[in-house]
Amino acid sequence: MSYKSYDEIFSSFEEISNSYKRKNQYFDILYDSTSSFRIMKTRSAETISLNAKTSGIVARTFIGNWKELAINNFAELKTIEMKLPKVINKGAEIKEFEGWRFNKEIKPKINPSEIPIEDKLQKIREISEYITNYDERIINPIISYGELSTTRMFVNNEGSQLRQVIPRIRLFIQPIAKEGSVIDFDYYSVGAEGGFEIVKEVFDKNLDQIIQNSLDMLKAEVPPSGRLPIILDADVAGLVAHESFGHGLEADQVLRDRSYLTNYLNKKVASDICVICDDPNIEGQYGSSFFDDEGIQASKNVLVKNGILKDFIHSRKTATEFHSKPKGNGRRESFAHPIFVRMTNTYFEPGDYKIEEMISEIKNGVLLIHGYFGMEDPLGGGMQCTSKKGYLIENGDKTKLLKAITLSGSVLELLQNIDAISDDKLTLRPGTCGKGEEDYVPVTSGGSYVRVKKALISPG
Amino acid sequence: MSKDKIELIEKSLNLKKIEEYEIYLMDTMIYETEFIKSEIASEREVNKLEYVIRILSQKGKETGIGIVKGNSLELKDIDKNIETCVLLSKHNMSSKYFFPESNSLSMVKTADEKILRDPNGIKNDTCAEINSEIKEHKELMLTFGRFRIHIQTNFLKNSSGLNLDALKTFFYIEFALKAQKNGNLGESWEIDYIKEREHLNIKKRVDKWARIAKDTLRAKNPPSNSNAIVVFPPNVLKNAINPVVGFHASGRAYHEKVSSFKINQKVASEKLTIIDNGLLEGGLMTNSWDGEGNPHQITKFIDSGICKERLFDQKYAILGKINSTGNGLRISDGSVTNTISNLQILPGEIPIDEMILNIKEGFYIEKCSWLSPDNFSGSFGTEIRNGYYIQNGEFRYPIKGGNLSGNVLEMIKNCQEISKENEFSLNSLFPYISFKNLSVSS
Repeated sequence: MSYKSYDEIFSSFEEISNSYKRKNQYFDILYDSTSSFRIMKTRSAETISLNAKTSGIVARTFIGNWKELAINNFAELKTIEMKLPKVINKGAEIKEFEGWRFNKEIKPKINPSEIPIEDKLQKIREISEYITNYDERIINPIISYGELSTTRMFVNNEGSQLRQVIPRIRLFIQPIAKEGSVIDFDYYSVGAEGGFEIVKEVFDKNLDQIIQNSLDMLKAEVPPSGRLPIILDADVAGLVAHESFGHGLEADQVLRDRSYLTNYLNKKVASDICVICDDPNIEGQYGSSFFDDEGIQASKNVLVKNGILKDFIHSRKTATEFHSKPKGNGRRESFAHPIFVRMTNTYFEPGDYKIEEMISEIKNGVLLIHGYFGMEDPLGGGMQCTSKKGYLIENGDKTKLLKAITLSGSVLELLQNIDAISDDKLTLRPGTCGKGEEDYVPVTSGGSYVRVKKALISPG
Repeated sequence: MSKDKIELIEKSLNLKKIEEYEIYLMDTMIYETEFIKSEIASEREVNKLEYVIRILSQKGKETGIGIVKGNSLELKDIDKNIETCVLLSKHNMSSKYFFPESNSLSMVKTADEKILRDPNGIKNDTCAEINSEIKEHKELMLTFGRFRIHIQTNFLKNSSGLNLDALKTFFYIEFALKAQKNGNLGESWEIDYIKEREHLNIKKRVDKWARIAKDTLRAKNPPSNSNAIVVFPPNVLKNAINPVVGFHASGRAYHEKVSSFKINQKVASEKLTIIDNGLLEGGLMTNSWDGEGNPHQITKFIDSGICKERLFDQKYAILGKINSTGNGLRISDGSVTNTISNLQILPGEIPIDEMILNIKEGFYIEKCSWLSPDNFSGSFGTEIRNGYYIQNGEFRYPIKGGNLSGNVLEMIKNCQEISKENEFSLNSLFPYISFKNLSVSS
């Protein structure tokens, strides 16, 4: 796509948008531009790639259902009015909000584009070499460094004119270790909204612990299977909050009659000590934004308070249907992907227990640490959350290191069985979330340590 | 039109006297309908064009590879992208690399003329057919559905004389069906990419969804068994086999010293023969050429349990001083990764019904939550979403919940029986296979 100034983009968008009268139908148009830079280094490969501002435009209108057109460039703008029909008397089918104006570009403390490519590459090579030389059992140091800058410009026929530029950065280190026939690893991942300052800390710190964690996995034991008392670290707790619980709160699933939480609004879904939130408006987090892809201002949503389900997560359409207030959760992966109700930064609020106290009270249980992946079951309320590793808890002490562990069962049963949440500072970890198996958006999830009286675990 | 765009970029490369370059251009049209219940919730059309420029900078025994992706065709932007790509190639240090040269290609049909002529018509007709079949099952409710047609044109031109194009059509299907009785809920939720119209099999597909959703209403937790026989249908099997077997068979895994496969050694049961087939008729990844322009081919890499070959892209083929097997896949950032094209497991001789009859006690897994094995170790643990408990040769009752765990690298050595029926799922044509020594816990 050819580049235009943002005033030119707004001007051409408003001309189209104004031709769709709000009283007759809702209309919006979004410009999406992504620049990225990636270095990937393994034992046998080094890849450097740059995405030079790939962009596109998507316009949609609601005429009883959504009609949407995504195009590559400004020359095709005229096709929007040809493809998206103009109707009358459909304006009330999407709740009207007051238009607003916003224009903000997040300026990272250290702009990664101002750091010469050779310096970044040199640092990645140094890390790779350090990991390789640390121990002969490290057979493959995998390092992935990525910069991403997303520009979204939004105009609708309610008078909104919005622009945000969000830089994000992510670093992933995975030293693969091998001894005899055993191959295993641990990983380190950091990512946030911001600039090079986020990874600089990692570059400057001692990598020994990251490598040792992988080497330790070579001696890790296979975890037990069965229903046991467990403690989840912030990572795994976040996976439960997001994958297992949160996806059922997405109100499009409720609208589809496809959520296990449909009849639970204002009812008890978790133990009294649980507070679970989704908040796109936390400064500096990987899942944050100022507004969503429907032009809704980002704000905090307390989903569960004292164990009671207080709200679902909404888009414009679901908020209309449920007479609720959207809080910035209508998101799309890019202009070429649809909008769905999506989470942002989803977490358990910290409690008041000490982690040492939580462990000491377990006779025979497991501590799950380092969330790896999970999958939703919006209708069934089932759960699959896998941690990369864990520890056996024996007679109140953390003992043997364990290999990957899968947590399953009913998420509501798990939430009701939470009997302690630690007072550690809220920790959020970056990730990407799909709806089903596609449409990936940046998110974080987390919390602090969460203890569950009994849950089903097995080797992961 | 897209050829004009390639020529525009090539002209700029030539003006800058770039010696070794490659242009890869992807032009995609998408037509999608989304349903909420049986009503259309949205209809989308997408036109997306992207190109990738790769430039090589030779440095003796090594090569610098620059990769830049863009979609602006303004001359100043193309020029800037080329300059950036040259800069990246100067900084990058890869093993020796050169672009593939022209080679004889097997011609395969990858596009459906009817779809090309009327994508919206085919989409709307198929959606109507799906809805009509679902309505036949009055006790069931469609909660959500997405049906999509992709028309994808890829072009590849490089400074070694390759000038290729490929036109491809395929479908995306995602439907969730709900059954409800006495407060119990059952769901079938299928997500798949399908290459051919004839593989859509709408009636058969919807009947299967209906059976799964209804049976889940009376599903129980599976009994625990640490030494279980488990039957994997093709759609579940691909999630286990492709990431692990595909990874360990790759030249990349070999060169990174993480492959557990050794040539001419037994890596699987003698009943298992696995083929990488980039020319497979009806395969999702089928094309005459791979992501770098090397010819797709048929590589029987596990023959009766013995590892016979590895799968190479251009980079790892050059490292091993052999020819590429056409296993370079172009990924989203424009780079190439060494992986499978389509996988085929040769069918056995026993009908699936007979395979079930032969099982005294075991499990049939219809769907897992997310069977995502660790590709290095092969280990996995996943929740069972839909399945059946088998006792004395028959499905005793449906199961839901509980964990299935095991290790794919061990599993392929413990293959018990292979069905004579096979089915496409994503980029695989697999039979039903029963494996022993797996663990089910609940």
